[in-house]
Amino acid sequence: MNTLLEVSGVSKTFDGFRAINNLSFQIGEPELRAVIGPNGAGKTTFMDIVTGKTKPDEGRVIFGEKSISLLKLSESRIAQTGIGRKFQRPTVFEDQSVADNLMMALKKDRRPWAVLRFRPRPRDHDAVAQLADEIGLMDHLTRRAGDLSHGQKQWLEIGMLLAQDPRLLLVDEPAAGMTPAEREHTTDILVEAAKTRAVVVVEHDMEFVRRLDCKVTVLHEGSVLAEGSLNHVTADEKVIEVYLGR
Amino acid sequence: MTHTSSFDQKYREGSSNGHHRSRRDGRRAGPQSRPFIQRHPSVMIFIACLALFTLTVSVLSEGFGVGLISTSFVKTLGKTLCLCLVALAMDVVWGYCGILSLGHMAFFGIGGYAIGMWLMYARTELIVIQSLAAAPLPPTAQEISQGIATQIFGVVGASEFPPIWAFAHSLPLQLAAVVLVPGLIALAFGWLAFRARVTGVYLSILTQAMTLALALYLFQNDSGLRGNNGLSGLQNLPGQGATPQSTISLWFLWASALALGLGYVFCAWMVSGKFGSVIRAIRDDEARVRFLGYSVEAYKLTVFTVTAIIAAIAGALYYPQAGIINPAEIAPIASIYLAVWVAIGGRGRLYGAVIGAAFVSLLSTWFTGGQAPDTNLGVYTIQWVNWWTVLLGLSFVVVTLLAPKGIGGLFDLIGKGRKP
Repeated sequence: MNTLLEVSGVSKTFDGFRAINNLSFQIGEPELRAVIGPNGAGKTTFMDIVTGKTKPDEGRVIFGEKSISLLKLSESRIAQTGIGRKFQRPTVFEDQSVADNLMMALKKDRRPWAVLRFRPRPRDHDAVAQLADEIGLMDHLTRRAGDLSHGQKQWLEIGMLLAQDPRLLLVDEPAAGMTPAEREHTTDILVEAAKTRAVVVVEHDMEFVRRLDCKVTVLHEGSVLAEGSLNHVTADEKVIEVYLGR
Repeated sequence: MTHTSSFDQKYREGSSNGHHRSRRDGRRAGPQSRPFIQRHPSVMIFIACLALFTLTVSVLSEGFGVGLISTSFVKTLGKTLCLCLVALAMDVVWGYCGILSLGHMAFFGIGGYAIGMWLMYARTELIVIQSLAAAPLPPTAQEISQGIATQIFGVVGASEFPPIWAFAHSLPLQLAAVVLVPGLIALAFGWLAFRARVTGVYLSILTQAMTLALALYLFQNDSGLRGNNGLSGLQNLPGQGATPQSTISLWFLWASALALGLGYVFCAWMVSGKFGSVIRAIRDDEARVRFLGYSVEAYKLTVFTVTAIIAAIAGALYYPQAGIINPAEIAPIASIYLAVWVAIGGRGRLYGAVIGAAFVSLLSTWFTGGQAPDTNLGVYTIQWVNWWTVLLGLSFVVVTLLAPKGIGGLFDLIGKGRKP
């Protein structure tokens, strides 16, 4: 298992508030990793830094065998390099059909001229259908994404991520607002995806993390507090103190 | 809490038979393999309506002999088609891509100026050569050039050609300028603005500033484009002195209809496929589009530049029919009107923009032309020539608040009525 993403010594301050404080984090490929931590622990800022939305004040973010520094790349370049991100709130393009959403996400040449001339081939439709099947939206391909239920939108967004075929997937609270049955299916999708790529799941819900059955990183005040199996970290004194509460 | 709706059942079954990567072979979405026109019947309907309109107007025109439609009205209709074309461009950039540009009429004006320079130069050249032909000695090239310059620039107290007229003698070069000058300005402006991630109302203000700057520059006498006099006599085509305006007006009507037809097909093609998906996605949530790996800036720049060029072509066809262009045409208010037309017609659908531009601009011609009878309220007489802008402003507010889909939204009602 090679290291795919290496974050080292990263700090970020917002108006005097240290959101990320000398954070170091590594993930291999393939690997499934859960990141937990109380509110304000820096989970979302961490994702923002990796995906290029926020530039850190110091530190390094290195990706892939060629050790590309992500700090110099724009959001779209980072996405093209192979990092996909799912937001906490489902953000799909509500005005467009499920199929159009997936088609847009399919890994293809993203330059305007190529996209302008692009007309889907049968194999592209097959790829979209396959993804829709995977996320349980096969019967909703022609529906407006805005008309889907909350859980379905979450899946559609996960489907769009898979369509991008990223090497690293960052998923922010995928199970938020889902029914227990929907959570189960989401777990399946994530575990399956992590067989061939690196997946980082940020989650609040311990039960969900337990079901993922993977290594856990606990963030606190912008840096790593503990790392290991869920049983290991939940037994950790410091973790119990700051996160689980006394 | 166990929630077991039929839907849950469905995906459980889905997940129980696993994630088959090789299954799916059914559902080869057939509609995509049909030709473009067939997939978009509205394009066909539009072209048919446009052709019918052009044919009817031609047959009833003075140029054709029937004379039910006066030459000046043929010109008004031809100009309206050009306005429809620029409205299409506005709809693509605003309605589809979400960039509220309040500067597209500047590109329209630049197109008009570019073609106007050739029209004015070539016609003046003929006049000068004719008048010098009577001289005892044949005129030198320099004398001719001097003569043309005096004729054109006498009005601003100059008698030499400014550098920007260097290509005015050549129709092909000025036609190239119609496309290249606005294209390059849009490219440079867009590159600076989009790269700096200027969006929303700030971008609109910036485009207004660009428009205002251009208009103010053109108002100056030493701008080289005759200051506030602008370019005139554009309705007279060089070498067509013997051709009556009734015929020329038809030529321009046909050219405008052709340009609108081609523009419509092009825009429909542009917004129909994945490119259309991406730009609509940019309109709705551009940050998300970035994380999908699309360079939002590159797309905005493409759309902004392409629509600027379409606007310029529309302008190049409009001003020979109007006969005159001056800097007032480029004033910021013109671009705001353009946005109003598209909003009233219904943005985000191409025919909406066309309907809005045609409807509002023709109505505007009718009101401001003094044809609308004054309304006597007893205490006050509404003179529509003055009150028209108020009415337009009010209808803009009403449409924005109550019917955001505009006139085009009516077609949804018809569609719903047919298939419930």
